[in-house]
Amino acid sequence: MRIVVCVKEVLDPDAVNSFAVAGRLTIGEDGRSITQSAIPRLMNGFDEQALEAALRLRDAGASTTIAVVSIGMDPSNILRHAAALGADETAHVPADPATLDGHVTAAILAAWIRSTGPADLVLCGRQASDDDQGVVPALVGERLGMPVVTIARAVALAGSGGAVRVTRVTPDGDEVVEASLPAVVTVSSEIGTPRYPTAARKLQARRMKPVVTSPEALGLGARELAPKVRLLRQLVPAVHGHCELLAGAPAEAAKALVARLAQDGAI
Amino acid sequence: MPTVLVCSWGAGTFARGIEETLTFGRKLAAALHGELGLLVLGAVPQGAAELAGRYGAATLDTVSDPKLAAGAPDALVEALAQACRARAPRTLLFPQTFDARLVAPRLAARLDAAIVMNGIDAGVEDGGLRVTASAYGGDTHAVYEMTGEGLTIVAVSTMALRAEPAASPTTPTVGELPVDLSAVAERIRIVEAARTEGPRLEDAGIIVAGGRGLGAREHFALIEQLAEVLGGMAGASRPLVDEGWVDASRQVGLTGRITRPALYVAVGISGASQHMAGCAAAKTIVAINKDGDAAIFRHARYGIVGDCHEIVPELIRAARERRAGGP
Repeated sequence: MRIVVCVKEVLDPDAVNSFAVAGRLTIGEDGRSITQSAIPRLMNGFDEQALEAALRLRDAGASTTIAVVSIGMDPSNILRHAAALGADETAHVPADPATLDGHVTAAILAAWIRSTGPADLVLCGRQASDDDQGVVPALVGERLGMPVVTIARAVALAGSGGAVRVTRVTPDGDEVVEASLPAVVTVSSEIGTPRYPTAARKLQARRMKPVVTSPEALGLGARELAPKVRLLRQLVPAVHGHCELLAGAPAEAAKALVARLAQDGAI
Repeated sequence: MPTVLVCSWGAGTFARGIEETLTFGRKLAAALHGELGLLVLGAVPQGAAELAGRYGAATLDTVSDPKLAAGAPDALVEALAQACRARAPRTLLFPQTFDARLVAPRLAARLDAAIVMNGIDAGVEDGGLRVTASAYGGDTHAVYEMTGEGLTIVAVSTMALRAEPAASPTTPTVGELPVDLSAVAERIRIVEAARTEGPRLEDAGIIVAGGRGLGAREHFALIEQLAEVLGGMAGASRPLVDEGWVDASRQVGLTGRITRPALYVAVGISGASQHMAGCAAAKTIVAINKDGDAAIFRHARYGIVGDCHEIVPELIRAARERRAGGP
């Protein structure tokens, strides 16, 4: 079976958060982009977990080829990482992120999947940690006419390989569902920590070059490549604290806190 | 015809955040010089017309079909697509529930509509629709412009919003929208239904949550004890779940549980935006952290700077004494 994993390069969200928490996160003169050049770029964590789900299917005995595709300016680092982890093929569709919205991204991914051979399973991260939108997997599924199963903590093959069995993390607890293949599945962090590539595989991966295809070569026209949603500006919201600190020895501070909460009617 | 249509479904209940979404919708409808409408799919909750009127809706549309009873996605998407074609709103709003996170973008594909999730504000600027959404787990706000005049779908992140009834209530026109779902066959089969095991964090009035500052797995017992003595539930930040110390059902945050308790006690939690996205709507936040510069203190009403291993046992004692009517 052929598994396609869709991956996005993002700014390290932990580093972004560290800057934000320190009050040092700033937006550049374009009004849109985060300026700190010290923030590393890496594979969106949920996408890496989607790739991990694909690798676990292979570990479980499924005969698979795993193709990893990314759209953007230069995702060569994350595609090399994907190759080192065990991707059989990597692909890059160059596009300026400023010209992409969920629809355009999904149109490119769907066209790429169609043109490179049928996919039995499309795995995506539940959302990207930069814009948090999480709409692309559903848009891809609709374009390809595939069912979309979201927020997986476990993915397994079922029905003699013709279906996928997914354990979903819902607010009401875990739900187990099955869908016939081909299908789109989004993977959540609950699947667990992704593996690390071995040194040997890292060396091998340096030889694997991503196949580059332009959106135009995929047969997409101006209409499909025109975003409906454009990022106008980005800002760092101010948090106005009004915290009353309760000082003293632990026992005193604890008593003072309980008294305040009781007075406020909070307990 | 409503310009802004808010939609909801559920087993005879409204989606969580419906009142905040109606408030959001009324303001947007005013900015667009149009009307607000409410669309209910499946069993209509009691008092639906009254609720719609309280928030200033001009219309209440209902859609009923046996296939909507289970709340399954293929039927919902198709029914919403037909209802939207019939009512032709400029903007369709969803309270961003777990289900809406899937249904909204699928509908956007069907209707070729612009879509923005995590919406916290919307308005008109230079004649065009603008939607503000949280990004980077809340570290930034992104303002999006819609490039065309077509339908825009917004999933509203209601936790940070306040419900405000209309200054003068309306009496909405109530009508049933016919849909044909005969071609719908659900493609996803539920093998094991989700079971809520005990109470849910989302419904808790008091939450005591532990983070990395606890230092070791066994210290989570302190969190559970304090939660118990306060009559609340224990929660955790994502690192504890990733470490396997606590079950994922305890995780508060952007990708965990989005909670709205009256009291949230954060112990050894730094206050990363991804975490705050799951608790910022709490009425009172208490922070206990040994780092006085931790971001959590910016969100807290009360704080204690110190070692949580010393402070939490004292808090348990003080809360027990108070409960026993002691000093």
